[in-house]
Amino acid sequence: MNIFFWGDLQVEFVPGETIAAAMLRSGVRDLTPDADPPAYGRVFCGIGACQACLVRQGLEAAFEACLTLASDGMRLTPVLPLAAAPASQGSNVNV
Amino acid sequence: MSKEMTVVVIGGGAAGVSAAISIARTNVRVLLVEQRDRLGGAIHRQPASKTTPPVTRAKGHVQAWAGLMKELSSCKERITVATSTVFSGIDGNGFVLLDNRRSGELVAIRPEGMILALGATEVVHPFPGWELPGVFSAGGVQVLLKETGRPLKGTTLLAGSGPLLLALGAQLCAAGGPPLAILERGEPFKRPTASVKLLSSLPRLFEGAGYMLRLASANVPYRSGAQIISAKSDKRGFLVEVLQRGQHSTYQVDNLVVHDGLRAGHLAVDLSSLPFPTVEAGDGREILGAHCAMADGRLAAAKLLSRLGLATASAAADEQTVRAARRFQSQLGVLFYKPPPPIQSETIVCRCEGRRASSLPKGVTAREAKLVGRFGMGACQGRFCADATARALGEGAVSCEFRPAVMRWPIRPLAAASIARLRFVSANFNEIWNDDTTFA
Repeated sequence: MNIFFWGDLQVEFVPGETIAAAMLRSGVRDLTPDADPPAYGRVFCGIGACQACLVRQGLEAAFEACLTLASDGMRLTPVLPLAAAPASQGSNVNV
Repeated sequence: MSKEMTVVVIGGGAAGVSAAISIARTNVRVLLVEQRDRLGGAIHRQPASKTTPPVTRAKGHVQAWAGLMKELSSCKERITVATSTVFSGIDGNGFVLLDNRRSGELVAIRPEGMILALGATEVVHPFPGWELPGVFSAGGVQVLLKETGRPLKGTTLLAGSGPLLLALGAQLCAAGGPPLAILERGEPFKRPTASVKLLSSLPRLFEGAGYMLRLASANVPYRSGAQIISAKSDKRGFLVEVLQRGQHSTYQVDNLVVHDGLRAGHLAVDLSSLPFPTVEAGDGREILGAHCAMADGRLAAAKLLSRLGLATASAAADEQTVRAARRFQSQLGVLFYKPPPPIQSETIVCRCEGRRASSLPKGVTAREAKLVGRFGMGACQGRFCADATARALGEGAVSCEFRPAVMRWPIRPLAAASIARLRFVSANFNEIWNDDTTFA
């Protein structure tokens, strides 16, 4: 099975495909679902230039969904932009 | 006998690969760095897997890339290809920092010279709603299409300006997902003089005519003189308000794809401040298009080699290619020219920091807007907001305020754990990067 997790959601991917491509095919477009406007995460430029599609795995550093190949069993979570990060929310806050 | 020289080439698109080959042929060792898992860049992006449906590509591009890969194979003794490796910047001691995302190490190298072939940056003039998920850049959608072979799910509207909208529209038609319409801000058909001049570039003009034919046979309307006023998200997607020659209309779509042209220059740094000769190549240097990228890569290599005191072959043919491409681009520029629309006050100018035009401080410079207002302070380093911020401030073209003399690294996200595993390397690159598939 080629599956990774976006929060609790299972996302299927084709080996060789980026995280961004697999998420879009699954209908995931908003990469900061809990954030208030105006600071959305999203796939936009597809070449790592806009930095809007940053995601993270566990407590590791953020990386671009559009540059990174999906791999089996990845557990990905949103990276909240600073403007939208709640004052205290433990591990999900990117400060 | 002097030490063998090393040149680092950043960017594995047509210009970077071509420059790497030219340099390797003079017996200089080359480290060719590419952020993705495979070479190709945006233009020659390869399908994700063998089962990916093929996407329509210009035949000339496919042949040119195959030829370049063959040349690369013949130089594999001197070129190490570092894929999944992100250029992170140059530190104060002149070390090029490379984030090897595969091994989780930051690799530091002190080369004798460097080529930057970072590709073009897309220009997107912001409007209220451009920051929403489901709004994509045309280049981004084209890259996704090449990789996945499939258009975006649902209905798509293309809007903005320039030939890329036509190319992408035609490719989406061929992939079975024609756009609802193409909205072109400019009025190319109202400029007959420019069209006549374009005839001197016949082959590429036929490429454009081919796009138009494909769009016409799929009944995709091409509306010129039409610009987006705003996009609002609704339950199904977007309501896009459009103004065309005084008439307002609304489109309901799932995806909104925007593009207002291409711009050279990716990097917020003054190259002359770097501690070794550095030369830009390809669309990152000057927008000359895919047809010219390989020639421009060879020219950049020749320029760097001469600065390193090495002899190079005659570049007359490549210089001619560049001149022709420059003429073609300038004519295209005239054909599609339309001044950018005014920035509405509720528009988010800086997406990374979520800053609206209405909160732009009055009477400040772009630098002050950055330091005080956080415009252009975010993760994209101003690539998508510097122009609009300067324009909203009435400064016209982007000032050098966004190009400081000293490089601030990392220029991309970098794990502290990778910095902790910093590794200095002077040779034996193949011990770190040994991806056999590159030369397969």
